[in-house]
Amino acid sequence: MAQPQPVQKNKVDWSKAVRDYVQRAFAQENNVAGVSREEVQEKLKQVITAVAEKGMMDDVDWASHPLPQQFVLQDRRRALGVDGQQNAWPTPASHLADPLHGHTNNASLSPSKKRKSTDASLTDHPDDSQPPWRKTNSRNMFEDRITYANQGQANRVDKKQRKNKEKDNFINSKFSPAELEKRRQRFGNISTDVTPPWASPRTDDAEARSGPVVGTCQQLEKRYFRLTAPPKPETVRPLPVLEQTLALLKKKWREEKNYGYICDQFKSLRQDLTVQHIRSAFTVDVYEIHARIALEKGDLGEYNQCQTQLRALYSQNLGGHPEEFLAYRILYFIHTCNRTDMNDMLADLTPTDKNDHAVKHALAVRSALALGNYHRFFRLYIDYPNLGGNLMDKFVDRERVAALANMCKAYKPFVKLSFLSFELGFESDRACLDFLVQKQAQHLIQDTDGELCFQTGKAGLLFDQLRAQAFAKVDIKGQI
Amino acid sequence: MNQLIERFQLCIAEGNGTELAEIFSTKAPASNPGLFYDLRQGSNAQQIEDYIHYTITPRNGFPFDSAEVNAWTEVFVNYWKAVGELISLHESTDQGKLRDGQFGEVYDVWKAYTNSLIKHHNSSVLPFWTIPCLYKALTELRTYAIKADEQSVNTKGNVTFNTGLQDDIVSSVGKNEKLEDYARVLNRVFNMCLQDRAPIEYSRKWGTYYTANLMFKTYFKLNAISLSKNMVQAINAQFDMPPLHRFPNSEIVTFKYYIGVMTFLREDYVQAEKNLTEAWQLCHKSAYKNHQQILTYLIPCRLITTHKLPTSELLSPYPRLQALFGPIAACIRKGNLAGFDAALSAGEDEFVKRRIYLTLERGRDIALRNLLRKVFLAGGYEPLKEGQTEADLIRRTRIPTAEFAAAIRMGLGADGKLLEDDEVECMLANMIYKNLMKGYISRERAMVVLSKTAGMAFPGTGV
Repeated sequence: MAQPQPVQKNKVDWSKAVRDYVQRAFAQENNVAGVSREEVQEKLKQVITAVAEKGMMDDVDWASHPLPQQFVLQDRRRALGVDGQQNAWPTPASHLADPLHGHTNNASLSPSKKRKSTDASLTDHPDDSQPPWRKTNSRNMFEDRITYANQGQANRVDKKQRKNKEKDNFINSKFSPAELEKRRQRFGNISTDVTPPWASPRTDDAEARSGPVVGTCQQLEKRYFRLTAPPKPETVRPLPVLEQTLALLKKKWREEKNYGYICDQFKSLRQDLTVQHIRSAFTVDVYEIHARIALEKGDLGEYNQCQTQLRALYSQNLGGHPEEFLAYRILYFIHTCNRTDMNDMLADLTPTDKNDHAVKHALAVRSALALGNYHRFFRLYIDYPNLGGNLMDKFVDRERVAALANMCKAYKPFVKLSFLSFELGFESDRACLDFLVQKQAQHLIQDTDGELCFQTGKAGLLFDQLRAQAFAKVDIKGQI
Repeated sequence: MNQLIERFQLCIAEGNGTELAEIFSTKAPASNPGLFYDLRQGSNAQQIEDYIHYTITPRNGFPFDSAEVNAWTEVFVNYWKAVGELISLHESTDQGKLRDGQFGEVYDVWKAYTNSLIKHHNSSVLPFWTIPCLYKALTELRTYAIKADEQSVNTKGNVTFNTGLQDDIVSSVGKNEKLEDYARVLNRVFNMCLQDRAPIEYSRKWGTYYTANLMFKTYFKLNAISLSKNMVQAINAQFDMPPLHRFPNSEIVTFKYYIGVMTFLREDYVQAEKNLTEAWQLCHKSAYKNHQQILTYLIPCRLITTHKLPTSELLSPYPRLQALFGPIAACIRKGNLAGFDAALSAGEDEFVKRRIYLTLERGRDIALRNLLRKVFLAGGYEPLKEGQTEADLIRRTRIPTAEFAAAIRMGLGADGKLLEDDEVECMLANMIYKNLMKGYISRERAMVVLSKTAGMAFPGTGV
């Protein structure tokens, strides 16, 4: 069934060994769950091309050569390892030892993670090193989320990642499979049965370094992309250049308001700061500005990443505007209905915090909603400090529904639309009307003596149901 | 060392797990303060293993097969190693010269000792009745984990920066490295107990709730309370678990308490009340602190579920609770809004610390209800019509919003001047929405129309 098209298209006469290898790659019994046929196909092409380019088609032992799906899995694992671990760069020592002890990686190869052996379960396995509460939605984890301003950008980045992957494969193919085969022969038989050659880590001179990079790049603008290898100094911008970059980005944002571009640029800016270990007032500045821009565009995912970072940076007393962002944090917890974090935040408040104008506003919002005091809530919604309103926009709809549920039960037989519009903080009666229509409540609106009225008494459970829906699913990430 | 072995032999012969656990102590007994030094001086790292191995054999009257001899030898050797660290810890503490990371080192050696116990329980070489040794080891390990984390936050600060390939500068905040590690150790023991397949009379299943309670404690400390849910589900899913009531009362009470608090924090006050009440009833009379702890959550819980406030008789044995809830309860009772706000903000730090602030805050509704109820009572009765008698008296149920507004303004004291009429209406609407008051607001007439049915205007309060 599995006739490999790409290989056949090349009108090259492959040896029987290679053809068998291809056959094997697509054979039913070698299917690996989660690895698609396309992936296998692409990988297969790369593997064979790499070997062919080195002119080693006949040197490779195709019968025992690892299958493309295994390479795919390996790539994925590596991607995970690099993303998830703090010290993804192996130390020089562990590095040297690896080719010989490569089979220690074997453990993670076995599909089942369950360990029966008592001994093994007692040692600390590295794959457990991330405790589950780090994996949950706790604020620590937000930093791992990437958001893209819009679909277009996401696609672009996808493309980039694909490119990146290709690059990765290239590095990979530089060492495996042909060279590894050679190496295997060099090391004799020790590794043939225990060490899968593809499990050997990349050896790269740059990898041994884990200290800060000293950048030399002089260009102001740079596209973001996620690092999978230590950056080259010539691609990293030093602090003086970054300062100019920030000025440029601020200007561009004011003039062009192109969020996709700005977000991308800020991410590369943040990355350059990170790889150079720059933790200063400038760092705070960058994160604050990015957070504000994200808020302005309502990109809560990106905002939250910045917020997490800022919180830690503020604890280092590097300056900035901790109160402004504390207020945002409170509003964010209201949005996510996160009682636990809200309580922790209240526990951390100092009397100075509580006296800050913005913090006071956010706390007042919290308390108004806790008590169901919609009247006060919507007064606070109209009059807010900084960018608090942008955050409140995220949940104002939900709170309007809640307030309506409340009013429909309490007021009989009707209230004037102008009253409703005022109480719910609408800009105009028209906006209020649109909202009601949008909520399928147009049948409750009536013209009485030339004035529009809303028949609260007849609304029944409509808004109760809407309210339950609105609170049932809160998009915690708030990503766009 | 011989003295220790003798005690050990006695406990083994008697099958006394509790006594056995005392042998592997982190402190030398008061009766023999020099024990630890004797232990260390009596042997050395080269000899200890052979010595123990040679001593605890059947030849010397120990009822062990070779696997158990090896197991106990490993346990003893690891304990002996830990004693070395413990001595230096006690010395540094006494001299006030704790080294950086010293608690971390103690944690590591004690963990090695604990692991040797786990390992041989896991393979069922150590008999099930020796599990109190494991309990004790785990309890001590937790203390060291917490101290080690405190120490490392003090020396290194609680922010870890990224040095690798990450995009962002900070990698984590508020690390509890050792306690997180401890949670993993504990989780292994919990699963070992839960899934033990031995016949129930020899089963380690009896260790489930003890370890579950330790896990609760740890997760609460780690601020990872939501993980407790998975653990509870795992217990419920274990079909051959003996029923809870067959476990020691102390374990039941702790377990129910934590379930209660867990559901309390999820705002499932009905479940919370049920579990906390059960814990309260089972709790031993003399367990003063536990009673106090249970009430800390049960009182706010009942305020929400049944709008009941604690009586002064209930609070009087507990001065701490008296201080915590006394003032706020009094204000709710009287319908004193300004007093309520003041009491809530006065107790804020303490309430937040115990995670009851957000619940108590809702008591304001009850305070307001009580105030409005007074307005209703003060409104008196509808005048009797011709032919009606005292028995036909009905209360005046149409009350101008202005009357309520006046009461709320008075109740708020100085803050009342800022109160707008629309906000008063909003508060009234809330009362109706939350079923604390029955009736409706007529905006046209600026009137609240309350239920005429006797006892229904303010449900549950008799009027």
